[in-house]
Amino acid sequence: MADWQIAMVMMVGYLIVALVIGVMAGRGQDKGSLNEFAVAGGKLGLIVMWFLMGGAVFSAFSFLGAPGWAYSQGAPALYILTYTAFAILPWYIIGPKIGKIGRKYNIYTVSGFLKKRFGGRVLPILIGLIALLASIQYLATQMKGMAYIFNIMTEGRIPFWLGALLSYGIVVVYVATGGLRAAAWSDVFQGLLMIIISWVVGLAIVNQLHNSISSMFNELIESNPGFLEIGNAGSTMSPMAYTTTILVSLIGFLMWPHLFSKSYASNARTIKKTVLIYPVFALFLIPLLLVGFAAVNVVNSSELGSPDEILPYLITTALSLPGWVYGLVGAGALAAAMSTADAITHSASLEFTDGVIKNIKADISDKSTLLIMRIGVFVIGALAYFITVFGGQGLIALLLGAYGSIVQFAPGVYGALYSKRATAPAIITGLIVGTVVNYYYQLVAPVTPFDIHAGILGLICNVIIVIVVSTLTQVKDVKIATEYRNIG
Amino acid sequence: MSKKKFTTIYCLSLLIPLLLLLFPLFSLGNRSTPMVIGLPFSVFWVILWIIIAFLIVLALYRIDPDKDETEGN
Repeated sequence: MADWQIAMVMMVGYLIVALVIGVMAGRGQDKGSLNEFAVAGGKLGLIVMWFLMGGAVFSAFSFLGAPGWAYSQGAPALYILTYTAFAILPWYIIGPKIGKIGRKYNIYTVSGFLKKRFGGRVLPILIGLIALLASIQYLATQMKGMAYIFNIMTEGRIPFWLGALLSYGIVVVYVATGGLRAAAWSDVFQGLLMIIISWVVGLAIVNQLHNSISSMFNELIESNPGFLEIGNAGSTMSPMAYTTTILVSLIGFLMWPHLFSKSYASNARTIKKTVLIYPVFALFLIPLLLVGFAAVNVVNSSELGSPDEILPYLITTALSLPGWVYGLVGAGALAAAMSTADAITHSASLEFTDGVIKNIKADISDKSTLLIMRIGVFVIGALAYFITVFGGQGLIALLLGAYGSIVQFAPGVYGALYSKRATAPAIITGLIVGTVVNYYYQLVAPVTPFDIHAGILGLICNVIIVIVVSTLTQVKDVKIATEYRNIG
Repeated sequence: MSKKKFTTIYCLSLLIPLLLLLFPLFSLGNRSTPMVIGLPFSVFWVILWIIIAFLIVLALYRIDPDKDETEGN
């Protein structure tokens, strides 16, 4: 059998196993329960929760983007390790608190959480829309990764549209049928697979190209001085850009609806234990960075379409490894992309239904809500698919801006949790101004002041507005505000 | 120990390793040499503080007054 045939058999085999696990996980549960579909009845165990959170981080970006960053940028790639390890830590404190508030008021989304505290319909609709656009952008990235990996590992025999359709189609089917529980159990399988594969393949590549890790770095320091430092001569990123990139990822991380909502899916003890063992996930990323460093001075960047192609390029072209390695890396990358895509698709459907649809048309029964959410999974899936395959420049800019705007939820969320005085007009104006500033510096302005990340600039404006407007306005529902603050 | 006090200790003790990985304090580790256990100093520095943060969380969990709470406000 040719290399590409072995790779294709392995990847299709992987897809079948992923589908079976996903569909089996949802069996035997109450199919008519909104609570089961949204938060798995609030009863996910430790191992499942750990992989669910970890799987969402281990995405197509980690498998393709992280080696690409290390290869093209050098030391700035370390930001990925730092933010992955630290971004989860606030969850130890806020996760149990959000969970208790959610169970008390029967909430399962970010928009529901803010609506209960601040009232009105404007805020949840805004949150629902931004979350939807940002999620579609996120999904499109994952799908590009999946389609790309299928294409390159079968040496071009599976076209782009078919690879995306096959792998993402399976995700949509198991999420629509089994809800959060199906996503969670698939992530356990996918998580184990991608961790093992990244270590085995990563270290094998380093050894084949440079004999050992230390000799690789010795050569790199000699040939590219400054490449493994930040802001010094020969470096690719300034200290301010590095620091604010970490900060924006760190603060934005838990604001993503698919991670935020997991607070409702488990009890305090499980949340704390998840945080406890979570930094290990950051260390799992190390071999993927090593692959990128190993390729510097070995692969000429003009041979690649973009730096993200470095890992597949090394396997198929530079190293001519056997077909089963193609298959392994293909399956690992698919697993990484799919375990992110399932959680995002699920939460985007929840967030849009709860934030936008339920606030435009009130009095929808739980049964209809559940139906809308299941249909939403297919609609969002189809939207993301068409954007991935057909593109469209204006649309892509809109989505990219939304993606960067998720961090702007932070003042609202932390205001709701810890302040009795934060008011609805303050949070709404802050969110809008923060989002506009972010859009401007991300997409229009060529450079940002002092090289500060666009999201942080937006956040600074956002926080100032929230503080100023809150002092000028009165909290409407003091009882809820006090309860939010005092719970937990 | 009260819950509030624990939250304060939690935030402060984990802020230290984080700040050491951000500028201006990251300047301490921002250099390629000397090599430590086969890694450039900058890479080693980041991994070291992630592991220390991991150990701090483990220690904090042991002294958490609410670690066994199951539910209730």
